[in-house]
Amino acid sequence: MLTDFRATLEYFGGSRDDAPRVFAGRFGWVARCAVWALAILLIYAFCGQSSKFIYIDF
Amino acid sequence: MIFNTFSYYLLFLAPSAALYRLVPGWLRPWIIVLFGSGFFLYFAYGMAGFWGALCLLIFVWESLVSRLYRPSSRWCMVGILQSLALLGIFKYWNFFTGLIYLHGVNPVRWQGAFLPLGISFFTFEFYHYAWDRRAGKTEAGTLGEYLAFILFFPTMVAGPIKRYQDFLPKLRAQPVDWNRDWERGITRILTGLVKKFAIADLLTAWTNHLNAHDILLADRRILPLWGLAYGIKIYADFSGYSDIAIGSARLFGIRVPENFDWPYGRRNIQRFWQCWHISLTRWLTDYVYIPLGGSRVSTPRIYANIVAVMLVSGLWHGAGVNFIVWGLWHGLLLAGHRLWRQMRGAPSDRPVPVFLSRVLTFILVNAAWPFFCMDIHTAILFYRRLFVG
Repeated sequence: MLTDFRATLEYFGGSRDDAPRVFAGRFGWVARCAVWALAILLIYAFCGQSSKFIYIDF
Repeated sequence: MIFNTFSYYLLFLAPSAALYRLVPGWLRPWIIVLFGSGFFLYFAYGMAGFWGALCLLIFVWESLVSRLYRPSSRWCMVGILQSLALLGIFKYWNFFTGLIYLHGVNPVRWQGAFLPLGISFFTFEFYHYAWDRRAGKTEAGTLGEYLAFILFFPTMVAGPIKRYQDFLPKLRAQPVDWNRDWERGITRILTGLVKKFAIADLLTAWTNHLNAHDILLADRRILPLWGLAYGIKIYADFSGYSDIAIGSARLFGIRVPENFDWPYGRRNIQRFWQCWHISLTRWLTDYVYIPLGGSRVSTPRIYANIVAVMLVSGLWHGAGVNFIVWGLWHGLLLAGHRLWRQMRGAPSDRPVPVFLSRVLTFILVNAAWPFFCMDIHTAILFYRRLFVG
């Protein structure tokens, strides 16, 4: 179960190409749109006080 | 800033990725060179002014010298030494000369010292190319292809550290599914931005307290939480950065190495380092650990090599005693883990020991972050307040 959860997170995070079985069908694009919408909402909500990336100075 | 600025996306990533998709294959490396040069000039000027931007000449020089590299050639040694010299002068000059003149004024101190944008990363790629050309492990490629490799701006500033032999076939190949690459790439970029904005930047409210003044005034019970906040922040920050770099590269149809693989869930320090900043760990393994003899030398030498590699890793992260102590800590942990495994044999697969080893690894890694994020005096103050009061 943990492996499936991890695969789902990686898929919606963009680091895995193959969709988990649940999202492989027609329903997949709706879920992907929802994830993009949520990500954009979070970025918009928190982008006000961004700081430098830590590794830029290395 | 860079990846969290509009200028990165509007001036560089979107137009270059779109052009890259439209132009014929022979022109693609030059699109990367053009936009990579513009990217370097724009952001290096913003960070270090005229002299920072002038460092673009380092790339031009390196690309010209690289044309002389041949298997077993002395020019490859020149390339290796000049990579180290660049890093040594820009990053470590004041630190090491300061150690020589520890109790007095440093007469050779470089007053206007600055770090060229991405120097720790691009010098490692220069080094890798010269080393692998010398060993005959990679082909030369054309001037345009090598320039595209070193000026590939998604990974130029903070990695992942690429390998030429991996990059070249992807640069030459015709991507088969652009729509898929763009969908996955944009998803990855969005994930990176969420990690940066919604996790890393949010934790800054806590990690800002990691300074001598606040540590002295704080209730000591809050100190581990500040340390833990930094541990989560640096993971979200750097893995978010890597997500954006990898996602940006994907818009060009190019897959670059992964940098993180759930490192905080690992059950020992060796597995942690196989999953944290993976491209650096592999670089250090291939160009420091193995040339030192790796695991094919006497047992004491193996332990010395492990500690030496982690000292190099610490020093690479910054020119400061605190980074050396951080590297030493991890070197001792890795050596201790190896010794433990030799004494106890294969690890148990029972759930409770597995769970406890994961927790212990997490604690040991996080216990060292204060040395990473504060100078040595402040870090010692942190531990003194934490354990003595």
